[in-house]
Amino acid sequence: MATANPIPEATSTAEHAATDLVVLAAAMQPEEFEGLMTHLSEAFSAESVIVATREELAAHATTAMRVVPVSRSSTAWPMRPADFINAFEAGHEHEAKAVLMLGPGADSLSPLALRSLASAVLHTAIDLAMPHYSIPPNTGFINSAILYPLTRTLFAVRARFPLALDMCLSMRMAERMATAAHRFNDRGQNEALLWPVNEAIAGGCSVDEIDAGLRAMPQPADVDISSILALVTGSLFGDIESKAAVWQRPRRPPIMRQPVPGASPAGSAADAAQMVEAFRLAYANLQEIWSLILPPHSLLLLKRFSVVDASAFRMPENLWARIVYDFLIAYRLRTINRGHLMGALIPLYLAWVAGHINATASGITPERHIETVAAAFEADKPYLVARWRWPDRFNS
Amino acid sequence: MQNLAASLLQTIQNAPVLPVYSSGSMWQHMTDALHQSFYRVLTLLIAVLPGILAFFVALLVFTLSGVAVSWALRRCLTWLKFDLRLASKGGSDWTPSSSPTEIVARLSFWACVLLGLIIGVSAFDTSYATGTTLPIALLPYLTHAVGAGLLLIAGILIARFLARSVLISAVNAQLQYARILSLGVKWLVLVLTAAMVLDHLQVGGNIVELAFGILFGGIVLTLALAVGLGSRDLVSRSLESRVEHTGDPAHVPDIRSTPRKTIRHF
Repeated sequence: MATANPIPEATSTAEHAATDLVVLAAAMQPEEFEGLMTHLSEAFSAESVIVATREELAAHATTAMRVVPVSRSSTAWPMRPADFINAFEAGHEHEAKAVLMLGPGADSLSPLALRSLASAVLHTAIDLAMPHYSIPPNTGFINSAILYPLTRTLFAVRARFPLALDMCLSMRMAERMATAAHRFNDRGQNEALLWPVNEAIAGGCSVDEIDAGLRAMPQPADVDISSILALVTGSLFGDIESKAAVWQRPRRPPIMRQPVPGASPAGSAADAAQMVEAFRLAYANLQEIWSLILPPHSLLLLKRFSVVDASAFRMPENLWARIVYDFLIAYRLRTINRGHLMGALIPLYLAWVAGHINATASGITPERHIETVAAAFEADKPYLVARWRWPDRFNS
Repeated sequence: MQNLAASLLQTIQNAPVLPVYSSGSMWQHMTDALHQSFYRVLTLLIAVLPGILAFFVALLVFTLSGVAVSWALRRCLTWLKFDLRLASKGGSDWTPSSSPTEIVARLSFWACVLLGLIIGVSAFDTSYATGTTLPIALLPYLTHAVGAGLLLIAGILIARFLARSVLISAVNAQLQYARILSLGVKWLVLVLTAAMVLDHLQVGGNIVELAFGILFGGIVLTLALAVGLGSRDLVSRSLESRVEHTGDPAHVPDIRSTPRKTIRHF
């Protein structure tokens, strides 16, 4: 028995026609979406791109570009498993070659940045194109102190923003991310963070970093440092734990780009003083907990730095690398409750930020200092591997 | 006169004979009493001893069996490459001390020990029930003591966890009295645990309840005073920042709260 097709033939054909690129835009304000559509129109021809976004935004679209609604889309930073599932499904449905995922505030990205991200995947053999944003020196400290150095060291990949708000994925990569997202969804972890760079390296996909220029950085709903650090760092530690077999293989370090010279200091002296004070208070109270995680040598160095004047305070790069590695080991071994572990890391992280502010105030550019920190992480990687394999050996 | 003397003599002869103990006879009685007591205790011990012996033998045998079973399982699972198979399926990495093989081996060992304990206690119970009619309060008290021990362990663990949580949160909130707060919480839970343990052991009665009430109230009052007095600055800063948010023109920005806005951690 024949049944009537409720979708007109022309629409159906149009919606399922193959396209080069599917752009998955996160939920955003209608005016922001309008700005994004303008930039997309400047960057791409209308025929080669399909924009997938929330239904209410799709209704606002005024450009010639085709806009299709998606059922689920996150409203805030960062991307959730549902977004990656959406990306793959939209790309697969429209037989796209790549999917460009854009987070909230993507209207601030230039057309050139949008085009560069997509071109890297469409016209070269790159599976994952990650943006390299130009951010102000007083932002993104968790990324600079922990996420970037750890990702660069362990996965030997150049990705200054491993948890970027935007990225372009080949269909192979999108499928891999969707599979990982389904795993989280099946476990009921709908709000989990996914680490595309780590996933790409684990899956043998190629990764490259593309200059994306300036971008408005939306902040998470909860700006409390404790919750952000626990969420982001805990998630990265968990991902590293699950991919231990991948990152323990020896890899050649990536070729790094030259840091941009002439940037302003990362913060004021008052910021640094406040953070050093927080570190001193923690040193007076948390020694008992730190001694469960850190080796005696690190504790001794922390004791020495706890009496240094706030304006001269610096956290040595190798000490910071060792601290992060020891916390990573403690996370794996569950030496203490993981929530407590992340809480105990906060004052040490603040001490690093204070040292970073002082370092940049003394004339070192923020990017150069961050690169030095990342290099210290790379130099100390054998320590992490050794303790990961033989955790009982407490190296000092 | 002669009759009177005769009747008196008769009366004396008919009077009941009062026991007259010599020192040798008293010692004899004491020895008898001691012998009887010793015999009673010995009888009780003889009645209970098989049960105690059975308990220890069962525990020892099952502990040794546990060692053997866990060793065999460890060898078997290592030979089968159980860890590798599991890791390839689950994709998770394990620490050497808590690998799946190690967990299975440990579980089997402790299962055997637990089985030995149950069988031992059962043997002891049987011996107690059938071997003697003497009332002994040992077994019921033992079960209470085990319950109290478990309560104590749980209380100590909870106290330590809460103390750490409070300490870390207070330090990150930059409260100067973080340690006092943490210690206060720890002792609150410990005092509560001690009261519960004593109550479970039925020791102390009302005195424990009274002492617990006084101690608990005292600690709460101390904490309230410490937090109240120590948080004055925090509260005033919070109020000032609230005034600043509402755009009060009379408000002068606090230099201590201003730097926070220049830093964005993410």
